[in-house]
Amino acid sequence: MNAVINLDRRQFVCSTLAAGGVLVLGLHDGSAIAGEAQATIWDKNDPVGSAEFTPWLSIAPDDTVVVRVTTPDIGNGVMTQAAAFVMEELGTSWDKIRPEYASTNRDYREGRVYSQVAGNISYFSGRSTGPDRMKTYLQVAASARERLKAAAAEHWGVKAGDIDAQNSVLTHKPTGRSLRFGEVVARAAKVTLKVEPTPKDRSQWTFLGKKSPAKIQIPEIVNGAAIFGIDVRLPNMVYAALRQSPVHGGKLISYDADAVKGMPGVLAVVAVRPQENKPSDLKPPFPFGLSALREGVAVIAEHYWQSRTALDALPAKWNDGPGGQWKSTAQMNDAMIELLDRPGEKVEKSAGDIDAGFRAANKFVEATYHTPYCEQAPLEPLNGTALVTKDRVELWHPSQHSLMAHMVAADESGVAPENVYFHQTYVGGGFGRRIFSDDARTVVAIAKQFPGRPVHVIWSREEATRQGLYRSIMAGRFKAGLGADGLPTALLARVSGGPGFSMSGLADTAFPPVVPNMQIESQVLPFHLKTGPYRGPGFNSNAFFVDTFLDECALAAGIDPLEYRLKIYGKWADIGWVKCLKEVRDKSGWGQPLPKGQGRGVAIANWAMRGIANAGTTVATVAKVEVSKAGKLKILQVDVAFDTGRIVNEDAIRVELQGGTIFGLNMSLNEGLNIKDGQVVEGNFDVYPIIRMADAPRVINVHYGGLSDFPRYTEIGEPPAGTIGPAVCNAIFQATGKRLRSTPIRLHDLSWA
Amino acid sequence: MATSIDVNGKTLEVDADPATPLLWVLRDHLGMTGTKFGCGIAQCGACTVHIDGKPTRSCQFPLSAVGSHKITTIEGLSPDSSHPLQKLWIELNVPQCGYCQAGMLLAAAALLQQIPQPTDDDIDQYVSNICRCGTYPRVRAAIHKAAEAHLSRSATA
Repeated sequence: MNAVINLDRRQFVCSTLAAGGVLVLGLHDGSAIAGEAQATIWDKNDPVGSAEFTPWLSIAPDDTVVVRVTTPDIGNGVMTQAAAFVMEELGTSWDKIRPEYASTNRDYREGRVYSQVAGNISYFSGRSTGPDRMKTYLQVAASARERLKAAAAEHWGVKAGDIDAQNSVLTHKPTGRSLRFGEVVARAAKVTLKVEPTPKDRSQWTFLGKKSPAKIQIPEIVNGAAIFGIDVRLPNMVYAALRQSPVHGGKLISYDADAVKGMPGVLAVVAVRPQENKPSDLKPPFPFGLSALREGVAVIAEHYWQSRTALDALPAKWNDGPGGQWKSTAQMNDAMIELLDRPGEKVEKSAGDIDAGFRAANKFVEATYHTPYCEQAPLEPLNGTALVTKDRVELWHPSQHSLMAHMVAADESGVAPENVYFHQTYVGGGFGRRIFSDDARTVVAIAKQFPGRPVHVIWSREEATRQGLYRSIMAGRFKAGLGADGLPTALLARVSGGPGFSMSGLADTAFPPVVPNMQIESQVLPFHLKTGPYRGPGFNSNAFFVDTFLDECALAAGIDPLEYRLKIYGKWADIGWVKCLKEVRDKSGWGQPLPKGQGRGVAIANWAMRGIANAGTTVATVAKVEVSKAGKLKILQVDVAFDTGRIVNEDAIRVELQGGTIFGLNMSLNEGLNIKDGQVVEGNFDVYPIIRMADAPRVINVHYGGLSDFPRYTEIGEPPAGTIGPAVCNAIFQATGKRLRSTPIRLHDLSWA
Repeated sequence: MATSIDVNGKTLEVDADPATPLLWVLRDHLGMTGTKFGCGIAQCGACTVHIDGKPTRSCQFPLSAVGSHKITTIEGLSPDSSHPLQKLWIELNVPQCGYCQAGMLLAAAALLQQIPQPTDDDIDQYVSNICRCGTYPRVRAAIHKAAEAHLSRSATA
């Protein structure tokens, strides 16, 4: 690792300086139109007179510190965390730090200056606290600080070691003389240090882990100034409304443009069709196939409502293709569940001798579970704005992966990537939907047919819902043999689903490894619906299966469900599991008597551990519920403990655990798309309900006693979304005696007598 | 056909079809993008504005119905982000992605106008906006805190 760190120090701190301490880089060197648009508050040139210390950091004469961030902030605080890392080492004031998105164009032109740190995929999407990212910012800030000190030392003719940097001021300690950062930036950026400084040990941190700054962009949000993708307004801009094949994979046969061409404001009607496969030497972070264009038709008009009205009036004929064979949700569920009767096509994981394990058992538990398609439903509908000309593309877009969107824009337009300018906007929720960039491709596919004017494409809510990249439908059958102590001697689990259902997810959890004899099998059905990330792909369904099944095993064994999990995971090499379970047991009131109709349930899971101990994020959740005799469910209290190893912002963790819990609760209570004749039935929130204030739990307690202090800072948004559902279902069982083996919960009759 | 409407205390001219929803008049014709499009069927509340002080979902409110009613959008909730809720939103780190929050703030501000000391049940009833990120606990906390601050201000006044 040391070699890597040293290389990083050289590259990030010195490489630009070797070129002569470049001042005032026009990073966005965009067209006049881009300059006028100021598509986001971060999409600006550096202040005049700024000195760029590295591509990651510039400081202006007025002390403003521009920190460049590669990862789109989808509300998870990535921007704020980047600022916090810089804050720890630089000696600036917090209010002087201005995070800004790194230019994907610059990344391409300057030898992957940003993405080389941790690779394309992790660096332009995902979490804020990864080790590479953290080390880079801490190093960049420490190196800039030492340069500022050296510059002040040179100015005063004193030793740099006698200078202190705090609150954006450099003070010569023996004499009390001082200079602002901004007064020495020009000189500082030219300093060559003999040795780059080593960032502080975490025991010396004064900001990270100690302070919890609120998200840095909130002032822009509360007054309506924040520019999301859908808010981009450009001179001469036109609007497009879009309809794509109602059955995924279907084709557009024909449409009657003449029927709408005379309608007010209508400028053009364009077909959206995939191009012939052409060779490409571009290297996208994800395969281009994941962003494949879906056939459709778009109406371009002077105003959005005009395009929408004309689109609604536009006759279009479709060929449904093979997806039309799936006539109903029930047909698909039946097909999945039927597969579970046979051995899986693939053995994902096995250990010991499963037959011997079952022979040694004296009790058996077997159950079948299934979960539906779910849509991420970010509240900002899919959208984007592109200006395509022969040799240049400008794209303004609420992406979750700006580098993928950049490459997709190059691929779809045929314009060289160095001539693609991607402008990251605020993002109105992501949850995995905006990573693969099928939306960006569609925007460019439409805009390139209307070159020379910026085209702003907006999906209606109904289109966004039906043209999803869903969490896959999935089924699982679990059979366990329990020994005399009630613990499993053998486990056979079979899972099935459509493409992309994350077959290996179950094998990667901590439950199978602690069973001496086990086998996990999988099979895939040729469902046509497109699938993708959804706050933990596959993780949520697996968590529901495993934790409901563990409850059923505990019941058969006659052991308290939480104590049962302690016995099971006491055998697992990662101490965080037991710590999280004990934390929620002790803090939630577990075991205290409840009135009839109330119950507590527990669940524990880990997101992103990939079968390894001391990896990923473990979350344990206890839910306390009340079910009325008529079957009305109320979530009274939720207690959550977690293990990310360590943390750097306590409140950011609490925010994500609260939000992820509510997201996961909605998934389990409400979400499930239906299929009819290959089409997604649900279109809008009237039939795809999202939990509101009145149904959200009023009490969600976040507890910090599960932390293992293992040296990692893992992600926190996805993990709580997996445990809340099974915790609630297990609580419902305690309250009513009804065992739920599928979601959404709202489809089940919970009434009791 | 030009129509005059009163937005945030200013009279503005709009040239749009009278059937155009107020949401798109604001966003597209007037360039005021703080009011958000989420669903288009008055479900999610992202497009909430005040019409004569009453929280209204502007995606289902046509331009033809605006007449002389006074519209307040997020841009006009306060001139300088000084509304107590705006300040508390920052202090309590309420928004996540932020997309629903303009509507959330306008719903909450209208609630406090009508019921200065709302109970949890009042909040449930009046703030029915959808937040996909799950900011509800903090929205609730911020409303209660604003109510407390109002009470203590009234007590010392």
